[in-house]
Amino acid sequence: MAAATLETATKELNQQIGLTTDGSQFLTFQLGEELYGVDILRVQEIKGYTAVTKIPNTPSHIKGVLNLRGTIVPIVELRTKFGMPTIEYTMFTVIVVVVVKEKIMGLVVDAVSDVLNIDKKDIQPPPQFGAKVDVSFLNGIGKSGEKLIALLDMDKLLSDGDLQDAAAAVAA
Amino acid sequence: MSTDLSHFQDAFFEESADHLATMEGGLLNLEQHPDDLDLLNRIFRAAHSIKGNSGMFGFTAVGQFTHKMETLLDRLRNGQLSVTPAIADVLLRSTDCLSSLLEAARGGAAPDPETIAKLEEELASASGAQASPAEPGQGPASVQSGVNQAGGGRHFRIRWTPPSWLFQRGLDPIQMIKELEDLGTLVSRTLDLSGLPAFDVLDSECCYLSWIFDLETTKDKSVVESVFDFVKDEGTLTISESTVSSCEFQVSSSIPKCETSNSKQETSGDEPKPLGEILVETGVVSRETLDHALSQQKRVGEILIEQHAATPQQISQALQKQQESAIHAKKGADTASIRVDTAKIDKLINLVGELVITQSMLSDLSVRFEMSQLAVLLERVAQLERNTREIQERVMGIRMLPIGSAFSRFPRLVRDLSGKSGKKIQLVLSGEETELDKTVIESIGDPLTHLVRNSADHGLEPPDERLANDKPELGTIRLNAFHEGGSICITVEDDGRGLNRDKILAKAIKSGLVSEQEKLTDDQIWPLIFKPGFSTAEKVTDVSGRGVGMDVVKRNIEALGGTVSIKTALGTGTIFTLKLPLTLAIIEGMTVRVGSDTYIVPLLSILESIQPKAEAIKTLVGKGELINVRGTYLPMMRMYEAFSLQPEYTEPTKAILLILETEGERVAVMVDEILGQQQVVIKSMEQNFRKVDGVAGATILGDGTVGFILDVRGLLEIARREIPVAA
Repeated sequence: MAAATLETATKELNQQIGLTTDGSQFLTFQLGEELYGVDILRVQEIKGYTAVTKIPNTPSHIKGVLNLRGTIVPIVELRTKFGMPTIEYTMFTVIVVVVVKEKIMGLVVDAVSDVLNIDKKDIQPPPQFGAKVDVSFLNGIGKSGEKLIALLDMDKLLSDGDLQDAAAAVAA
Repeated sequence: MSTDLSHFQDAFFEESADHLATMEGGLLNLEQHPDDLDLLNRIFRAAHSIKGNSGMFGFTAVGQFTHKMETLLDRLRNGQLSVTPAIADVLLRSTDCLSSLLEAARGGAAPDPETIAKLEEELASASGAQASPAEPGQGPASVQSGVNQAGGGRHFRIRWTPPSWLFQRGLDPIQMIKELEDLGTLVSRTLDLSGLPAFDVLDSECCYLSWIFDLETTKDKSVVESVFDFVKDEGTLTISESTVSSCEFQVSSSIPKCETSNSKQETSGDEPKPLGEILVETGVVSRETLDHALSQQKRVGEILIEQHAATPQQISQALQKQQESAIHAKKGADTASIRVDTAKIDKLINLVGELVITQSMLSDLSVRFEMSQLAVLLERVAQLERNTREIQERVMGIRMLPIGSAFSRFPRLVRDLSGKSGKKIQLVLSGEETELDKTVIESIGDPLTHLVRNSADHGLEPPDERLANDKPELGTIRLNAFHEGGSICITVEDDGRGLNRDKILAKAIKSGLVSEQEKLTDDQIWPLIFKPGFSTAEKVTDVSGRGVGMDVVKRNIEALGGTVSIKTALGTGTIFTLKLPLTLAIIEGMTVRVGSDTYIVPLLSILESIQPKAEAIKTLVGKGELINVRGTYLPMMRMYEAFSLQPEYTEPTKAILLILETEGERVAVMVDEILGQQQVVIKSMEQNFRKVDGVAGATILGDGTVGFILDVRGLLEIARREIPVAA
């Protein structure tokens, strides 16, 4: 009896703070006016922007590398990657450190906003724009209230030749 | 069962390698001191350990072979035989064979069964034929326990399936085997487990086993039979006498194996025999005829050269490739474990203890800190710094091993070379205790071997030539290791004929490496021997002379960030000096600045740095820039162009030129400023990113930002490949 009460209470509490055990949680961040989300389990940490070291002869969206407690971590400028205009960095500019296929990398974003639960039913497949807009790196679009969140497929986004496996291509 | 033991197998192989090294070292020593009983005992113990352990893991081939070595060693130990050079030689070759058997058990290529059989025969004849004559052939004395009887006489094959009630009557098969051993030499013992029923129907009091023995004895069949007196009424016993003993290894290995034996060995046992072996067995040809025919066989390479299908250079290049891939394969199989002196670990633990204390003192201080305690704080921080530095050093020290392990293979090598070439050579080792990084030790073995071979083959003269030149007949090769600055020096020195300037020059001109007009200093001539395909040897021996080797030496050493230098005097000898970094994890670098970026240039590749005068810079076809450095024009490249950076200076006269050398090539690289020299820890770029052209790795600079370590070779390639996109 007591156990059942506790369970209901936990559920109610979870609902109040917006935490559900089913569905997925996403870390959302801003790029301009748009909201993007990454699977929270992929996120290792969020840190304020610090200067990076530019890597010679790399595409412009690869901002450089950073010393993250002794590990060399490449940093990707998401705005450039998506072909959006660059802006001055502000105090809200952060680096979202994510883990992709056992590699650690950082994404520069305008600001982090929230951790959101998005139910499966609120996620729809990415729209098709044809050749005009490339959305192949999207998993889908999620709805949360009035907000629209573009959910990023980390593996697709960061597995292109610029970032990794290029060594194999060079060797071949 | 084998799966349970599999994780101990690595330990077994590692241990066996140690034992093998002990045996080999001991045997080499034994040749010099044949009466040293301690030494003999040590060798015997090592062999015995390998035998025992291999039995435990089911490596029967290893066990059987070691047993035969042990038999011979035992006789030496008991004083029944004395150590002769011939015996030492057989034992040494047996250690080689044993090591390849072990390699096979580990999954490597199986050694030639013919070689094994031949060695086994030699071992047996060494233990048997030379037995002290005082030993009685027959009679009551022969039933003495423990001492193996001289074999040689007759050969019996005994198949024994004991009755199932064997154990119930309190009989022990081991007793029978011991009795058989007392009769003569038990050449092989094979246990047949095929009679074993499934576990749930197994009666623990029944005997399901059967054995096959090969016994060499001088006794009659009836004596052998009498061993089985108690059990011969039931069960089956067949004793057959055979006269052929040379192929017994092959025969016994074709018997169905017991279940515990390793599957790899089974396949090697089932391999078809070489044609020659079958011909000998069936009596078509004699062994001598076969050996003679085999010795006539030529290597594919030689045949191809004869038929003009390939040039010697092509063949030697192919051979080199083969060698390299073999080395590569070997490296892949190496386990990555390391043995650390307990003292080192204890010291490390003490240091960590100190670190924890310092840390707690600091956090204690930080809780209630007042400005008055500033001095205390500074002192503690300094202490923390000391602790950290010391721990860093000690941790690096764990990877440091004495170089002796890389030297240990040379006494044997020199001994064999000396035997092959007919030269008398002594090897003097010193500085074996010098420590350096494990990875470096692993990689210098092959270059050192090349150098030692080279010294033995080309450096040292034949005895008569030495005597004619008033030199002692005995040639000396010295291997020495010592620390110098932040690096380690290894010298390979011989007191042979030295490098012949004229000969090298003539050869170099002939092969088009230098033109006749060029005036070369000695220091420019000696490195010519590192060019691929360069050999002045008149005849190619199987030791060296193919011109492969010296270039590999240089390449391998340079790959480790080291250098090779030569000092030589005609008639008195040559010294090769290898200079290597202590570790591969830290390099000495020069930090340079280009615009706002900092790069680290490996100090080893920097020859000098200059600030050029305007008139020293010339251009070719309007673009290619050359810089005149004391009479030599070197290509000049601007680092900001290759790396698309924003420089402070685009005018060479304001900037600094670094003269860099890579793989014998010199180039001037333009940077804005030299910041200083420092040791940097190499961090991998590939771990989270990928390889970047022109960058050898990254490091963390003093201010916490990332700096790149320049890959000089890569930089050159970038500059040559393209005109980079302007920044």
